Amino acid sequence: MTDPAENQSPPAAKPGLKSDQLSGLVLVVLAIYIGWLNRKFPVGTLADPGPGYVPLLLAIGLGLIGLLVAVMGGRAKPLAAIPWPEATRAFIILAACTVAGLVLEDIGYRLTIFAFLVFFIGAIERRGPLPTVLVSGGFSLASYFVIGDLLHVPLPVGPWGF
Amino acid sequence: MLETFNDLMLGFSVAFQPEVLMYAFAGCIIGTLVGMMPGLGPLAGISLLLPATFGLNPIIAIVLLAGVYYGAMYGGSTTSILMRIPGEAASVMTCIDGYAMTQNGRAGPALAIAAIGSFFAGTVGVIGLMLLAPTLATFALRFGPPEYTALLLMGLFVLAYMSGGSMLKTLAMAVFGLLLGMIGIDIMSGYTRFSFGIVELGDGVGIVSVAVGLFGISEILLTAGNQDTPQVQKPTLRQLIPSKEEFRLSVGPIMRGSLLGFMIGIIPGSAHIISSFVSYGLERRMSKHPERFGNGAIEGVAGPESANNAAATGAFVPMLALGIPTSPVTAVMIAAIMIHGISPGPMLIQEQPELFWGFVASMYVGNLVLLILNLPMVGLFVNLLRIPYAYMYPCILAFCILGVYSVSNSLIDVWIMLVMGGVGYMLRKFGYDLAPVALGLVLGPMLELSLRQSLALSGGDYAIFIERPIALTMFGLGALLLLLALKPLIFKSKDWRSKVGLEDAVD
Repeated sequence: MTDPAENQSPPAAKPGLKSDQLSGLVLVVLAIYIGWLNRKFPVGTLADPGPGYVPLLLAIGLGLIGLLVAVMGGRAKPLAAIPWPEATRAFIILAACTVAGLVLEDIGYRLTIFAFLVFFIGAIERRGPLPTVLVSGGFSLASYFVIGDLLHVPLPVGPWGF
Repeated sequence: MLETFNDLMLGFSVAFQPEVLMYAFAGCIIGTLVGMMPGLGPLAGISLLLPATFGLNPIIAIVLLAGVYYGAMYGGSTTSILMRIPGEAASVMTCIDGYAMTQNGRAGPALAIAAIGSFFAGTVGVIGLMLLAPTLATFALRFGPPEYTALLLMGLFVLAYMSGGSMLKTLAMAVFGLLLGMIGIDIMSGYTRFSFGIVELGDGVGIVSVAVGLFGISEILLTAGNQDTPQVQKPTLRQLIPSKEEFRLSVGPIMRGSLLGFMIGIIPGSAHIISSFVSYGLERRMSKHPERFGNGAIEGVAGPESANNAAATGAFVPMLALGIPTSPVTAVMIAAIMIHGISPGPMLIQEQPELFWGFVASMYVGNLVLLILNLPMVGLFVNLLRIPYAYMYPCILAFCILGVYSVSNSLIDVWIMLVMGGVGYMLRKFGYDLAPVALGLVLGPMLELSLRQSLALSGGDYAIFIERPIALTMFGLGALLLLLALKPLIFKSKDWRSKVGLEDAVD
């Protein structure tokens, strides 16, 4: 005797990896990597833990939780269902911030931030030259004045003195 | 009671000093603006302002940062009500009925009730802080390393149980944060761990760079490309006055939200977010006309707004009395105090009464300042919302680089911020809550140290954790919460998140 509900075919589950399955597996890999890095530090004993003891415990914990997330992730949304419309721009933002960080101490705060804002407002957002220069110049100079001059927070100065 | 009154008077003598008053005022204004800007929540705002407090005295520094914190809680409601954009996560629930009221032409009363509720809740929170923190601090003087170990572990279990999203994912993030806290020199052995040969990592990973990366940068990565310049309503002063009926309907939710928010605020986790969800669920359940919710019910604004403000104040209780942060914001504030050579904890109230009571009194003043300022100036503040996002987000990014670099004039902090921004972006895409990472980062070294100190005290005997009644009780409570948290996983039953609709919203 079967339950009538069982006779009805359940909605077909979409094949493919689920978001939680992937993220759980990434956590497991991270845990293994941390455990591998931790081999350099003495773990000690239960009674006398060494510097590697707590990190090892945590790596094991992270691995187990990651495994549980992956195992129980069957009902999570499919990986393909996660939208990435902003991914390209997000990558550009991170790349531009990295470049700004690389040159900040060499060319100084004001010039770095000016170029950074010109890139975003002028090149990425395609705003007119006048508002781009006004906002970029105004922000870099005003923020330097408030943070650097008024609040005395030391900010990098370039070889040209600004 | 008389002693508390005298202490409070001492606090007011500090808070009414012109310089302190000026910084409290500045903090409230900055906080309001920060709260209104998507991508700059209270945490990012406080983190970015932190370097500017290095040159200030510790009382002024904490008053300024606290002003930013509760100012941001006020500011977040304005964008929620007028534009359906939560300036910070705790205002998500306010969007529902607040924006519906705006569409019904009642934006003014919604803003007024949010401000009045926030003021009342903030005041209730400060009274609670004033009465509870000294008592808790006196009790905590009995704590040794085993009690702190138990307390921190219990805090992590509470965090998992009370988290907004999946418990497993929250625990994973807490453990990830704890592991980040392991980076740097191990105090007890002198080993430098997981530093990859980078000297600056010897001091560990700074909370500011992690917080700005996780919360500020990741938000911008998620929202960049948003080209819309929203239409904003600008209510006049006269339009702000609620009707008698709206007042009557709001009294109960404000009172309930204040008490509920304060109690939830003491608990670790994203308390201000959770409190607003729980308050909304409670008000909808208690209402005789629940069908009004979602269509402009003023109770749906009054309750959550009061709750998230009371929770913001409640979070200061464990921070000041125990030295333990229960939210990323209080973690950054602890860092701010410690930079000045002051350790928050049970001795703080005795050793630094001017700081504690000055802080408490400044919160009374700050709440009043916010009420007086925000309503008449709401028309002025909303102009900020008209700035196109194309101009706004590059400036916020520049602020993030500036703020993080300034903490220790080190590019390593900028790199950590960018890495954490990328990590935070991916984690949010996959539905992970980020607050436990920041908490774990701060609690990790504390937990490890107290565990190893306890074992050193007992000669390696783990019975020390069950022989001491306070530690045993806290372990018992932690275990109970863990079991409660595991119940829905094992028996496939609904847990409290589903009942208040929190899990769906977070995911």
